[in-house]
Amino acid sequence: MRLVPRFRDRWLLRRIPPAPSVRLNQRQIFIMPTAVGMAFIGALVLMLVAAINYQNSLAYALTFLLGSVFLVAIVHTWRNLAGLVVQAAGSTPVFLGEKARLHVRLESRGRVHQSVAVGWPQSGMQLTDVPAAGVCALELMMPTARRGWLRPGRLRVESRFPLGILVAWTWIDLQLAALVYPRPVEGELPPIAGATDDPVSGARSRGLGVDDYQGLKSWQSGDSIRRLHWKAFSRGQGLLVKDFAALEGHEPLLDLAMLNGDLEARLSLLCHGVLELSARQQAFALRLDGEELGPDVGQRHRDECLRALALFGLSAGTGA
Amino acid sequence: MSAQQAIPRNGLIWLLVAQVLVIVPHLGHLPLWITALWLACATWRIQIFRMRARYPNGWIKATLMLGTGFGVYLSRGSLVGLEAGVVLLIAAFILKLLEMRSRRDGLVLVFLGFFAVVTSYLFGDSLVAGAYSLLPVIALLAAMIGLQQSRLASRPWPTLRLAGSLLLQALPIMLVLFVLFPRLSPLWSLPQPKDRAVTGLADSMAPGDIAELSQSGALAFRASFDGPIPGRDRLYWRAVTFERFDGRRWSQSFASQLPQSPQWQRQGESLSYSIVMQASGRPWLYALDVPQIEESDARMMADFHLERRRPVDKPLLYQLSSWPQALREASAAPPSLERALQLPSEGNPRSRAWAMELRRAHQNPEEVVQVLLRHFNREPFGYTLKPPAVGSDIVDGFLFQTRSGFCIHYAGAMTFVLRAAGIPARVVAGYQGGEINTAGNYLSVHQFDAHAWLEYWVADRGWVSVDPTFQVAPERIQQGLEQALADERSFLEGSPMSLMRYRDIRWLNSLRHGWDNVNYGWQRWVLSYQGERQREILQGFFGPLDWRKLGVAMVAVVFLIMTLLVLLSAKPWRYERDLQQRQFGRFERLLARHGVVRLKGEGARAFVMRAAQRLPEQANSLIAFLDQYERQRYAGQASDPTALKAALSTLRGQLPWRPVRIGTVHSDHE
Repeated sequence: MRLVPRFRDRWLLRRIPPAPSVRLNQRQIFIMPTAVGMAFIGALVLMLVAAINYQNSLAYALTFLLGSVFLVAIVHTWRNLAGLVVQAAGSTPVFLGEKARLHVRLESRGRVHQSVAVGWPQSGMQLTDVPAAGVCALELMMPTARRGWLRPGRLRVESRFPLGILVAWTWIDLQLAALVYPRPVEGELPPIAGATDDPVSGARSRGLGVDDYQGLKSWQSGDSIRRLHWKAFSRGQGLLVKDFAALEGHEPLLDLAMLNGDLEARLSLLCHGVLELSARQQAFALRLDGEELGPDVGQRHRDECLRALALFGLSAGTGA
Repeated sequence: MSAQQAIPRNGLIWLLVAQVLVIVPHLGHLPLWITALWLACATWRIQIFRMRARYPNGWIKATLMLGTGFGVYLSRGSLVGLEAGVVLLIAAFILKLLEMRSRRDGLVLVFLGFFAVVTSYLFGDSLVAGAYSLLPVIALLAAMIGLQQSRLASRPWPTLRLAGSLLLQALPIMLVLFVLFPRLSPLWSLPQPKDRAVTGLADSMAPGDIAELSQSGALAFRASFDGPIPGRDRLYWRAVTFERFDGRRWSQSFASQLPQSPQWQRQGESLSYSIVMQASGRPWLYALDVPQIEESDARMMADFHLERRRPVDKPLLYQLSSWPQALREASAAPPSLERALQLPSEGNPRSRAWAMELRRAHQNPEEVVQVLLRHFNREPFGYTLKPPAVGSDIVDGFLFQTRSGFCIHYAGAMTFVLRAAGIPARVVAGYQGGEINTAGNYLSVHQFDAHAWLEYWVADRGWVSVDPTFQVAPERIQQGLEQALADERSFLEGSPMSLMRYRDIRWLNSLRHGWDNVNYGWQRWVLSYQGERQREILQGFFGPLDWRKLGVAMVAVVFLIMTLLVLLSAKPWRYERDLQQRQFGRFERLLARHGVVRLKGEGARAFVMRAAQRLPEQANSLIAFLDQYERQRYAGQASDPTALKAALSTLRGQLPWRPVRIGTVHSDHE
């Protein structure tokens, strides 16, 4: 039953191999009349019948002229895609339920490419003009259905310009992928236990925290502006933040094993926890079936945790 | 991308323009209220676009449709047939504009527009109409392009230019298809346009009719001879014969309309020529006596005129050979003689009496004819288009009272007298003479060349043509109607604007001849390019051919043109560099101007490092450009020409300005 699409996919794989940047040429571009084009041909047949029955040379001439326009339009439609460079330009991770945003860049190395549509037929195509020797950046939206890597598959690039009677299209594999984090769900986390049993004796200073003032350090992106040392800034010492050390042992641990219920629901809770703790600039650790991240604090830690949550239990390479 | 999208501004502009251009040639045969409807709908649509009016709702649309249908029925008397069909098509074309919301509606409108252009050809297919129709076609194509354009494209002229280039590129393919596509005979018959006012000979004739025809400068037909054009006095173009006389009108007899080829013998020299006749609304084809026609669906009737099955309702080209000296029904008394002696049972007693007198005095019918001709010549008969009125006995009145009239009076009166004297005779109607076009060496025959003469039958000689008008006004035959009426000044009295009246202004006349010649060529080579004519012309060029060969040739030539077009538009021989390379080229040229020239095979990095040594002050900018270049080119980062451009312009700002020195590049290379 799925034989035909699979055959098509394999054929496409050989004809248009995956690459992050593809320059469209005759190898990749397919061209067919559209429904409008079929109607156009039908109209031409009617005109031809009228020309034959009325023996009218001018009607013949107009029929042939429009027929020739159809043929010439094949070249023009094809030319509107040919030479266009399509490049993957990364993606922004999103939470499940939001629309994934994939960036694609269209580059013209010569002429203008008018009315080029890019996207996936299910989720809607985006129409754009690529200026001559210019670039056009597109953000393609795609609904997310599950966490993990969203791989929308081959991207369709099509154009019906100039007459709309023909469509030139291609399916290119830019290896586009967007990371989808679990949907953050507010809920009760079990009492957050420390990583060690003895909260005081084993306490060591580690990482950033809010517990204990350690001195000043220079500001880095991700640091809370609430902790900026404004006085030092006004003295011209640059941006400094008051450095607090969180005491290890007090860091909360988000542990998958501590939660009950459906895996996705648990991941959603943990996701919310990660966001919550990161927003509070609090160091925390995340434990997912033996893999432990942290304890740590900051943007990078947050992203690593979210990524681990997104990909938990999914073998590499599979996804939505 | 769906067809449900709203209509871009460019599309709407060109749709409106196209609509004007499509409707204009139809105005002549459309009822007046269509124009009003059109103006109202176009205004409404523009207001909708400017957000000042709303789309019509269902009730208004239904009312408009019903009202239009009713209007068409009132003004055309039916909802079917060509005339009503065209009005309906145009009305649909107008109303669709009003309710057009989506791109799909716009496309429907464009297709309706193309159909409207085709129907306009049925009402007028002159060269001017054909050339004009390119305008609506190009506007419709521009509208199609405009419908596909995104909202970013707002200027209408590039759209038109693209439509024009599409059309220009399509032109060679169109010509190949036009010449080589086999012309089929009609698949089924369709109603023909009727409202074309046709002037020409009718199938019965009272004296006033030819006088009316003589006021028309319209073209009847044109003829090209293979040899020299015969003298005017030999150019008697037969259209039809009138055998029945009811006391007032001469008309065709029923028997002469039977397709029953009369017997005749070729004799003397033959003339070979072709005729393109204008639509006459009659099935007769004009020819010199005695013709043989190559057109397959025309044949000779019992009275030697040519007739086609269907009326000639559009220009028709046919080839002929004629034997002017042929003997017609000479050996045996034909059955038509009885009809050629018919007379009304009473009326015109003086003419009858005179005929009996002549018959008694002269044994030989030929002598009677000569006496009659001499009579017209010697007695004070006058040639005029405005004869005085006569009573109920028109022959008596003409012969013995007024003695003035024109061809039909003379031909009719002489036929009457001959019949009364027992000599079979009949009136022949057609055209006489014609105007020689010096630009193209052919003959144009106009409606005012309409003429009537007669033929009588004698044993051994058969039918003999004779023209009594020649005895009265020889200049009518030798020079034409204008000269015959020189004193009366009644030539084309009703049409003061006709160029015919200004034939003595030389440059105007040669201009008129030139234009007429162009139109004749258009009729002969374009409009008549149908059926046999196509095969004839192609065989003239390529020798004997069959349709299969033609089809193969057509496909091959079209394929060739398409390949050429693809090559010209793809330009595979041109190496297109990508944007980074282009920027790097500029970078190289900039440095070359400052004495640093990239060596052959030198890598980008090595080159920039060398440059940085030579231009230490700009080293930072040089490195910055290189970083950007390498990152985009090799690190897989998506290309962003603006960043590269910015790095380049920073560098350019730091370097002192130097003009381009062509010599530098070469000297540094060595």
